Amino acid sequence: MENHLNDQNTECSVSSDSNDCQRVDQYGFERSEDFNYESYEELMSKHLAVVTRRSNKWSKLLQGTVKVEKNVKVKRYVRKGVPCEHRTQIWMAASGAQDQLERNPGYYHSLLKAEHDPKIEEVIRADMHRTFPDNIHFHASSQPCLQKALFNVLLAYGHHNKDVGYCQGMNFIAGYLLIITKDEEKSFWLMDALIGKILPDYYTPTMLGLKMDQEVLGELVRMKVPAVWQVMNRHDVMWTLVVSRWFICLYVDILPVETVLRIWDCLFYEGSKILFRVALTLIRHHQNLISQAQSLPEICERFKQITHGEYVEDCHTFMQKIFMEPGGLSTATITKFRKMCRNRITSA
Amino acid sequence: MAKQYDVLFRLLLLGDSGVGKTCLLCRFTDNEFHPSHISTIGVDFKMKTLEIDGIKVRIQIWDTAGQERYQTITKQYYRRAQGIFLVYDITSERSFQHIMKWASDVDEYAPEKVQKILVGNKSDEEQKRQVATEQGNKLAKAYGMDFFETSAFTNQNITESFTRLAELVLQANKKDLDLLGGSMNDEFNLAVLEEQEGLCNVSDDSRKSCWC
Repeated sequence: MENHLNDQNTECSVSSDSNDCQRVDQYGFERSEDFNYESYEELMSKHLAVVTRRSNKWSKLLQGTVKVEKNVKVKRYVRKGVPCEHRTQIWMAASGAQDQLERNPGYYHSLLKAEHDPKIEEVIRADMHRTFPDNIHFHASSQPCLQKALFNVLLAYGHHNKDVGYCQGMNFIAGYLLIITKDEEKSFWLMDALIGKILPDYYTPTMLGLKMDQEVLGELVRMKVPAVWQVMNRHDVMWTLVVSRWFICLYVDILPVETVLRIWDCLFYEGSKILFRVALTLIRHHQNLISQAQSLPEICERFKQITHGEYVEDCHTFMQKIFMEPGGLSTATITKFRKMCRNRITSA
Repeated sequence: MAKQYDVLFRLLLLGDSGVGKTCLLCRFTDNEFHPSHISTIGVDFKMKTLEIDGIKVRIQIWDTAGQERYQTITKQYYRRAQGIFLVYDITSERSFQHIMKWASDVDEYAPEKVQKILVGNKSDEEQKRQVATEQGNKLAKAYGMDFFETSAFTNQNITESFTRLAELVLQANKKDLDLLGGSMNDEFNLAVLEEQEGLCNVSDDSRKSCWC
């Protein structure tokens, strides 16, 4: 499939001249009818220079090497965004997925060839037409169609990690990985890095890691944005109601595509703490809006509202904000809260 | 703020993944049908106001992810519901068999007084039917529930089934209503009092666009 999909590579070099590019974005997502082309052009012209500069810097950094070191310089580079053409390589290297792929040649394909659990197969199949119906590459009629690749990656993963199997939401993760890497095997190992290493146990049948992180976010909000914490409490709104999708889908289908990819750059390089930074930034920046809500439905509505609009569409600025707006957020704090919340949930 | 309704109910849509819960809801609240939409993750809800016997009934309809493991999250909402739709897909024998499992979970976690109806969705897909109407009828009878075959696609029985469940909830709580002598003031506690919201539009038109 790699060959089929490579012709999309050119789309990576952001172009907006053809009509097709106007109708769908560079990743194949159809634009809404009310898509504002004027403000898009404006942002584009501002950002094109930035993107080009970043791209040149990255090319220089990566000259003659496939390794991605963990140091302050690379971290700064990652936070400023990995250019589309280097994304697969950086994600693979930073997450350890590349090592795994090299250490296990043929493993992915052997999973596909082995006998499959019909139950897993059925649940995955049920989500095929419900994964990115608004992306042209996932239409059943498109050539090539990413649905088959999506099915394979999820099926292989379900048999590789039997504790997880298949959990709804993983389809969106695998879908994004395929859009970026255009390669099933790489997507598979990136999935494994995410689910097996980077994220807590979000997708297991107990979803304990998800429940834990929702509670952790609650604690962080209590500490950093008390006004929102109070309104949530007053109206008895469970965190799961407003943020479970944020965590499960790693912001896919919540935030604009490019913003999600920028978040994922950091997720692969720095780890899952970034998910809290994003949530806290969204909540803190809109704390007045949220805390003025008068009811549970209003709160839910506002939590949806804050994931749209210019604030999240301008991904460069947004990414700067997430490292400033929530203030300090040490790994020790997260670890402490995770332990505390996990205990609270399991002893309840 | 003046109330725009007299009572507020919470209804819950339950059933296997892919039976069409979200489509039923979109058809009912927005009169829309999207042949392709994304799978529901976690819990979501929409609102609509109906008028039943001169009473303005505001209903909050909770839509849930159907995959079994999500029950670990969605179960928390059962106890808040006054009415529950048990939904299966007439083209899926398995989804019909699972109704028993859904029903027993409801017995375990929902309030005793909760009203239930059985819904067999996708009635337009006659050629793929695996569950006969009679089977649905029989099961509903066994559970003492009303039964509807619906199609979100053709809009068959959508308003009917939602209105019926709202009526049942209203009837089941009629005593409480009468006790208040029809003066449904803020004391009325079928729903949480702070739900005096204005207009809530939970349409989710998540838009993705690239600016970079």
